[in-house]
Amino acid sequence: MHRVHGVLMLALLGACQSVGPKEAAPSASLALAPGERGLAIRAGKLLTMDESSRVLDPGLVLVRGTTIAYAGPPIDVPDGYERLEVPELWAWPGFVDLHTHIHGAGWHDLNDMVKPLNPELRSKPAIDPWDERMEHARAAGVTTMFGIPGSGTSNSGFGTLYKPERDAGYEAMVLRDPGGMKIAQNFNPQRGGGDLGATWAGLGWNLERLNDQAARMARDGDEDWELANLMKVHRHELPVLIHCASAEGVADAVRMWKVRYGTECVISHGCWDGWHAAAFTAATHTPVNVGPRTENLTAMRREDRFVGIASEYMKAGTPLVSLNTDSPVVPEEELFLQGTMSARQGGESLDMLRALTSNPARSFQIGERVGSLAAGKDADLVLSDGDPLDPRTRIEYVFIDGRMQYSRAQDGPIL
Amino acid sequence: MILTSLMLLGALPGGDLWAVRVKRAETVAKGPIEHALILVEDGRILAIGEDLPVERGIPVIEREDWVATPGWINCHTRVGFPRGMSSRTFDPQLSPEIEIDPRNDAWKELLELGVTTVGVYPDGTGIPGQAIVLRTRGDTLEEMLVHKPAYLSIHLQANSSSKNMLREAFSKVDEYEEKVAKEREKWEKEQEKKKSKSKSSKKDEDKDKKEEEKKEEEKKEEKKEDTLATQDEKKEEKASDAFVPPEPDEKVKPFLDLRAGTLEAMVSLSKAADYLHLLDVLEHEEKVHFSVEFPLRNDIDFYEVAPKIGEKKLLVVTQPETTLQPNSIRERNIPAELARAGAKLVLVPRDDSVEGHEEWRTDVGRLIGQGLSREAALAAVTLEAARVLDLGERLGSLEEGKQADIVFWSGDPFEPSTRVEAVMLEGRFVYGEVK
Amino acid sequence: MARTLETPLKLLSALLALAATVARIAAQDETPPAEGQQEEGAGEEGKKDDDEEHAKYFAIVGGDVVPGIGGILRDVTILARNGKITEIGHDVFVPEGAETLDAHGLRVYPGLVALGASGRITTGNLAAEGPEEDGGVAEPEEEIRFDALLPVPILAHPKEETAEETPDLQAEEGGDEMKSEIEDTFDPFSSQLVLALATGITSVQQQSAAVKLKRYEIEGVLLGDRHISTLTWSVNNPSNIRSLREKFERASSYLRDVRAWKDRGNKDEKEPSKRGVDATALRVLQGESLAYFRNGAREDLLGIARFAQEYGFRPVIEGCDEGWTVADELGRAGAFAVLIPRRRDPKDERFTRPGGASIENAAKLHAAGVQVAVRPENTGIDTIGIAGRDVLHMPVEAGFAVRGGLSEAAALEAMTLVPARILGVDHRIGSLEVGKDLDAIVTDGDLLHYRTFVQYTVVDGKLVYDKEKELYFAHIRPRPKKPEEPAPAAAEEPKAEEEKAEEPPADEKKDEAKDEESGGDDEKKDEPPKDDEG
Repeated sequence: MHRVHGVLMLALLGACQSVGPKEAAPSASLALAPGERGLAIRAGKLLTMDESSRVLDPGLVLVRGTTIAYAGPPIDVPDGYERLEVPELWAWPGFVDLHTHIHGAGWHDLNDMVKPLNPELRSKPAIDPWDERMEHARAAGVTTMFGIPGSGTSNSGFGTLYKPERDAGYEAMVLRDPGGMKIAQNFNPQRGGGDLGATWAGLGWNLERLNDQAARMARDGDEDWELANLMKVHRHELPVLIHCASAEGVADAVRMWKVRYGTECVISHGCWDGWHAAAFTAATHTPVNVGPRTENLTAMRREDRFVGIASEYMKAGTPLVSLNTDSPVVPEEELFLQGTMSARQGGESLDMLRALTSNPARSFQIGERVGSLAAGKDADLVLSDGDPLDPRTRIEYVFIDGRMQYSRAQDGPIL
Repeated sequence: MILTSLMLLGALPGGDLWAVRVKRAETVAKGPIEHALILVEDGRILAIGEDLPVERGIPVIEREDWVATPGWINCHTRVGFPRGMSSRTFDPQLSPEIEIDPRNDAWKELLELGVTTVGVYPDGTGIPGQAIVLRTRGDTLEEMLVHKPAYLSIHLQANSSSKNMLREAFSKVDEYEEKVAKEREKWEKEQEKKKSKSKSSKKDEDKDKKEEEKKEEEKKEEKKEDTLATQDEKKEEKASDAFVPPEPDEKVKPFLDLRAGTLEAMVSLSKAADYLHLLDVLEHEEKVHFSVEFPLRNDIDFYEVAPKIGEKKLLVVTQPETTLQPNSIRERNIPAELARAGAKLVLVPRDDSVEGHEEWRTDVGRLIGQGLSREAALAAVTLEAARVLDLGERLGSLEEGKQADIVFWSGDPFEPSTRVEAVMLEGRFVYGEVK
Repeated sequence: MARTLETPLKLLSALLALAATVARIAAQDETPPAEGQQEEGAGEEGKKDDDEEHAKYFAIVGGDVVPGIGGILRDVTILARNGKITEIGHDVFVPEGAETLDAHGLRVYPGLVALGASGRITTGNLAAEGPEEDGGVAEPEEEIRFDALLPVPILAHPKEETAEETPDLQAEEGGDEMKSEIEDTFDPFSSQLVLALATGITSVQQQSAAVKLKRYEIEGVLLGDRHISTLTWSVNNPSNIRSLREKFERASSYLRDVRAWKDRGNKDEKEPSKRGVDATALRVLQGESLAYFRNGAREDLLGIARFAQEYGFRPVIEGCDEGWTVADELGRAGAFAVLIPRRRDPKDERFTRPGGASIENAAKLHAAGVQVAVRPENTGIDTIGIAGRDVLHMPVEAGFAVRGGLSEAAALEAMTLVPARILGVDHRIGSLEVGKDLDAIVTDGDLLHYRTFVQYTVVDGKLVYDKEKELYFAHIRPRPKKPEEPAPAAAEEPKAEEEKAEEPPADEKKDEAKDEESGGDDEKKDEPPKDDEG
């Protein structure tokens, strides 16, 4: 059953073909080498999520090996490409979720709360590629995830950027490891651990002490096993994701990580009344990764109305606003719903789709690889029978690195 | 305008006829009077007016900077009492008299703050009893007690057990009234029988009567103290004159009076819906008069029923505070909204302690700044409070005929820097330099 | 957007227009008063109905009406008299003095019926906890606490976030269901009630009662009571099942005996004794209530389906996660299923046969003839941020069912007519038909589309919610002002002179109030404690 009626789509198709740009001749670089695999996907609607956010009716994606060779208006397909004609479907880049915890089969292996700072902790050992949640994530079009430690400690460690590929081990799945640093700026780390860090002042002191040291060592070219990755952050070789909330919490994080240390940082959560600091994130060009809470009425401070958090950040000019699930707080497969709700609460659908794809990728130094459909990027894409943000939409196919990861016809309706 | 003689220091006014002239008198009933002269006699206000001429010989106390208001009344307090049990009871017959300790400093302190009358309510929730009215001065309970009962205290919440408590109380009254009706029927039948008998034997009765009278006189002469017999006989005679209904149970009587309109109630509510549920319970009780009391706190939605309450011109007792609308940062001035809607606003201190009574007038003053009319504010601590206590005829305003409970202030009572200069209770100065 | 109810149904539309005309003609005859709860004030209601002078009319004019029984009627008017629908059609005569609602360009749906809704929706946040509570109730401070497991802080009172089960009925099996106390506890001003109205809900289930979300008044909120009787069933508890069988067997044979006795008509013969007959079983068998089960495992569902067929009653099964594996059997039993379509519980790996939750559950059950109702994951209202899974988002939940294959018409019925049937109040609500109550929502688009908002809500023929006039959603895609529209009445907004331009949050304000020594200068001293910058 298709939501977008075949008849209508074909009519549109016909119209586009007669009016649209002439189909160009295939360029030589698109031809397949002998033995090389290629897949040509011609979809009724193509959402590239690229710089200009082109939407093509219809569109064509040429996948060669693990990358995209072409994404744009339909052209003549060179020989050798397997064809997938899906005029009734929409094609869009797989979702990118920067704040997830399902790699370790859910709640386990989230936090190791022994000392307040553990920059050497890595989530890599906890990754379980066979977890059922991975299957759900795949089937829901989530193709890149940043699996991170929990926020039990201030410097929680380093997470892994990976793709939930089926029948694949760690090496095949990983996109970048360490993918980035995870910081918990406030709230959660404040436990009665007995050591310093029960208050924001204590947390801040801890973090600054460590960061000052790492920054100095990075400048001086020192080596240190424990702080090696932290130094990379200070050399802007790795980004940092900062869990924080409430307006003063967001401001505190931005002040430290963007203004003081100048790192490539992304504010994560930024919820409750955090959006009140949106002007500050905008002025300092600090991206914000919103979720799992996407709206607010009464938390921390009353809002007087239902505020759509992501759209408030966007309206204030915050760059690269993205959405997350903080799975399993929100199940990974409902990442799209974060976009749905954010679009409902005062946002625009295309903006929120971008918040699920190119924005998170670009804010985390992986925009060259994922988050949009363009030549040279990873072939991570999803084919659905309609608007990705509509709960009624069904996902038909999911591809990661050019390989089919999910097919509704074959794998059944998982979601 | 006859300028009178000097103020007589040392002469204790009261009982006699004397006068006081002030800069302004807030009468509450008829607005402020500038250069007011208040004439007091025998504990009552004899006259009050602007620059009233005073006869030679009447002592006049000149206070050109003073402002006079009626004594302030807190109609719903338990100041000075220890924290209550707050348990739910059904004791409509009780009153807090036995809890009153006249030696408690709180009374004196209240008096010196200008609070001349208080309504003390019974502790507990449910229907814990009836409130009493005290003056804030006296060495014994009798000296303090002004009037009782002031009102029946009822706590109503939107739930079945609370509503049923009240419903059952009224159904007990129904039962009682049925019982009375039956008894009356019985009595009337007996009367019928007696009449028919008496017609046939009237002559015999007359004879008997005369004989009895003779015997009575003899008895009186013999035993002057033996009054019992004569009383019994008198009763017999009276028995044939009028129907005496059976005594209602002490827990039923207050509701009987409530239904008849001879006792008022104060219903304590906690949210707007409670008011609708109260109306539901009282649907068929047309004569029941009640005031409404609710404690102000954030998120209270009482403004929702302000139009209904205003329409009925109910007395509403609450605190001088602004609150936040639920789920919002919007501020509501519910006391002002109620007053504007037509309700008769009564304000009591936010905190029922001596300190709370100090803050009381500045809190009310602030509320004026936030939209409450000055007239409503003044009435809220004087006349309307008196009406809650069913003493609106006697207290609460500076008018001819009213009790001379007057507070003299160094300025506008709502200004924080103002002090109490003197307090007069029933025509006698009980605090202040004028003694 | 991709979704519309565009028609291959044009024919059906025409048929319905015809039907509407027929309905209109029929409505011109005396409409019999709706049956139903007439316990309170029945006499007065009857009098009101006859009194034309005091009749109150309400008309929703010019909208595209989705009546909830199939199809869509374009550009029609709904007229209601004293809260009951009297006409739906074109060219409806609207009497003078009627209150009208212009719905041109908008859609009109029946009000949603939320099965499994938090009690706070009808009793408010400030509900007294119990008889021991003092008149002054505790403030529900939203204290944030930090859970060691969760990566983010959560509310101190998880009720608001997590799924709140409708509390089990008080009675043990076979006992009498508790009579609803809603008429004594209803809070018509509660902000939760307003939020429910704002998202399209006009009636809720509260235990076994159906309660209408009336605003500003407390009369007539109880629509129906005790139409469901909770029974427990588990293959792991065979003695329980045996006892249930015995009760039903006894009740069933009693009913047969009574019928036979009536047929014989022998005046000398005594009526068969009711002794030992379980009251609940009797009610279920007589159709006075529906047997309500909470089960999801395949074996239990099969057992219930067969049991129901054996004794001839229609069961309601809440959860019904594995219903899709035994859809046929459930269909034969005429079952009702109350589903959470987005459930994703995996199957029990000990068995090879299919199992677990499925997105296609609703669709498959519906195809097999089961009446499908939808309820949300979280029965409460979330105001601190995790959106899309609480009772305010029923269309999202229904959207998941559509994703799994359920038709959009059935998805709508799953939120309206089927819940009404389960609660035994479908003679009053659940669809927009002549004779039923005018409980309707006017939306700015397809109800199942995520950007659609409820613009107006009407309950009992009274406008109780206007998106522009309430705080919550007015700022989202505000309604364009029509030139002749007067300034909105300040029903919910405080008067201008009370609003202070800069007001610190409540707690700070109180502290400041207590700290100050000179009260009169307050309003000038107060300043907002936080500005937008950090």
